[in-house]
Amino acid sequence: MRLKIVLIDSDPERAQALEKQLSEAGFADVVRVPGGMDLTAAVGRVSPDLVIVDMALPDRDALEDIRAVSGAHPIVMFAGGDDPAFAEDAIAAGVCSYNLSGAAEADVRPIVTSAIALFRRYRHIQSELEVAKAMLDERRVIERAKAVLMRNRKMTEPEAYAWLRRKAMNANKKIGQIAAELVKREDSQLPTTSSGQGEGR
Amino acid sequence: MITLTPAGARNTEDAKMRIGLLRLTDAAPVIVAHEFGFFAEEGVETELVIEPSWANIADKLAYGFLDAAVIIPPLAFAVTLGLRGHTQPLVVPYTISRGGNTVTFSNSLAQEIRAHAVAEDISMAQAFAGVIGARQEQLVLAVVHTYSTHNLLLRYWLATAGLARSPKVTLAVVPPALAVDALQAKRIAGFCAGAPWGEIAERARVGLTVATSQDIWRNAPEKSLALRRSWADAQPDTVQGALRAMLRASQFCDNPANASYTAALLSRRRYVSVDSHAIMSSLPGGSVTSRNQSLFFRGATTFPFRSQARWFLQQMERWELLAPGLDHRALAHSVYRPDIYRAAIAPLGMSLPLHDEKREGGHNSPWTLEGHPDPIAMEPDSFCDGAFFDFE
Repeated sequence: MRLKIVLIDSDPERAQALEKQLSEAGFADVVRVPGGMDLTAAVGRVSPDLVIVDMALPDRDALEDIRAVSGAHPIVMFAGGDDPAFAEDAIAAGVCSYNLSGAAEADVRPIVTSAIALFRRYRHIQSELEVAKAMLDERRVIERAKAVLMRNRKMTEPEAYAWLRRKAMNANKKIGQIAAELVKREDSQLPTTSSGQGEGR
Repeated sequence: MITLTPAGARNTEDAKMRIGLLRLTDAAPVIVAHEFGFFAEEGVETELVIEPSWANIADKLAYGFLDAAVIIPPLAFAVTLGLRGHTQPLVVPYTISRGGNTVTFSNSLAQEIRAHAVAEDISMAQAFAGVIGARQEQLVLAVVHTYSTHNLLLRYWLATAGLARSPKVTLAVVPPALAVDALQAKRIAGFCAGAPWGEIAERARVGLTVATSQDIWRNAPEKSLALRRSWADAQPDTVQGALRAMLRASQFCDNPANASYTAALLSRRRYVSVDSHAIMSSLPGGSVTSRNQSLFFRGATTFPFRSQARWFLQQMERWELLAPGLDHRALAHSVYRPDIYRAAIAPLGMSLPLHDEKREGGHNSPWTLEGHPDPIAMEPDSFCDGAFFDFE
């Protein structure tokens, strides 16, 4: 099948993965575009049968004007525009497709399905990363709170931890919250000495 | 957790009103109503969803991922008619803002146009025509979306100088946040976009503003609140509460004394995420020098006049964005819904326009509109070419 596909994705890793997946499935004609200004021109140059784009890119508004470059070709947003469930799936996954040449839905659908699966997997990985990062942040703030307690109240490390845990239980809060509050208080009391902490915000 | 939603008013599944918006200054009333708890006080739970593109707003409304959105009115008609994808009937019961757009050109071009305008004592649009008349190359001007107020206003402005269909001017679509970069890289010669992007371009010394909404259609209606019709029909009480909350926020944003509060709120990373001073300049009371200020409340700004819907439809047809021969009156009636606005706002005792339509244009100075119980003080609404539009 010689469907020409333009893939617009600012995430090179994901774009590469999708291209690989598509070429393994026999769709070898994939042009990757990173997004940005010359999108309409790129689409005009390649004149693809299908455009797959990351919904997080603002460039989609330029693609709405794709009529201008695609001439008389019909444009169907979301392969299978008559299938709301499929389109909803695509939107939820963060992928959008523009079918430029009016290629048969049967041809286009597996491609978009792959894209949906891939976008979903990447989103999953991203949310796992966020959870991991949040846990790490919490651990870091607890460490800082313990250090504060050990310095200011001359506690040992286990005592400091026990103190935080007791506070958390009494206040019915998470230990990380108690630690964050303590650290914040400490920082606000010592505005000059905390400047070396380099907190990003 | 305290739930402010009246019991049984809505089932839990659609408990939150999901409102989509872009990173633009004139989304201010929605952000204020959400952050200051005005929605909550009306028993409306809201979730604001910041989208990167109008296309996302349109798709997510079309497929029910959003219940409402800050929208450019021509796009509300495009979604309702299925002109750019899936069809979803929308209603517009509230106008959010007027004005706020700039026509911003690259420094050298803008300086040339300004000098020419002063030397010949002609309008900026005519000066632009003069400047490009002497040049060989084609210029690309960007608008933010095909179905945008910006596209219609820029074309109107170009048309006053005979440039609307000139082969020397090409219109392209570039998202506003990218337009400043595009201008710098000389991929475009200018753009028409909403605040704060013209101001951002000037601050970055990349471009200069040669015209604003004010120079094309004074106090032109700009953003609206659009709701999915099926969602709105299913919960009229929620809709009315939301509109009252919006009105309170619109009043807040329109008050010159509040400009710095609003700007600080909007400048947060979660919202517009730019320097609050760049946001200030287009807020009422935010600047004494800016020619580009949005209005949010005064002069019946928030009322969804059907005559304004008719103007948008007429101009969409003029530029072949709408098939000829459609029944504009019927379309305006089904999408623009002053009846919903009246039902929500009447209990507040505020003066409301007597009629759902008015003459658009023709007022060069403040004027008075028939209202109930009292007449309403209105702002000038003249067009740059002196035209006015009577639709009924």
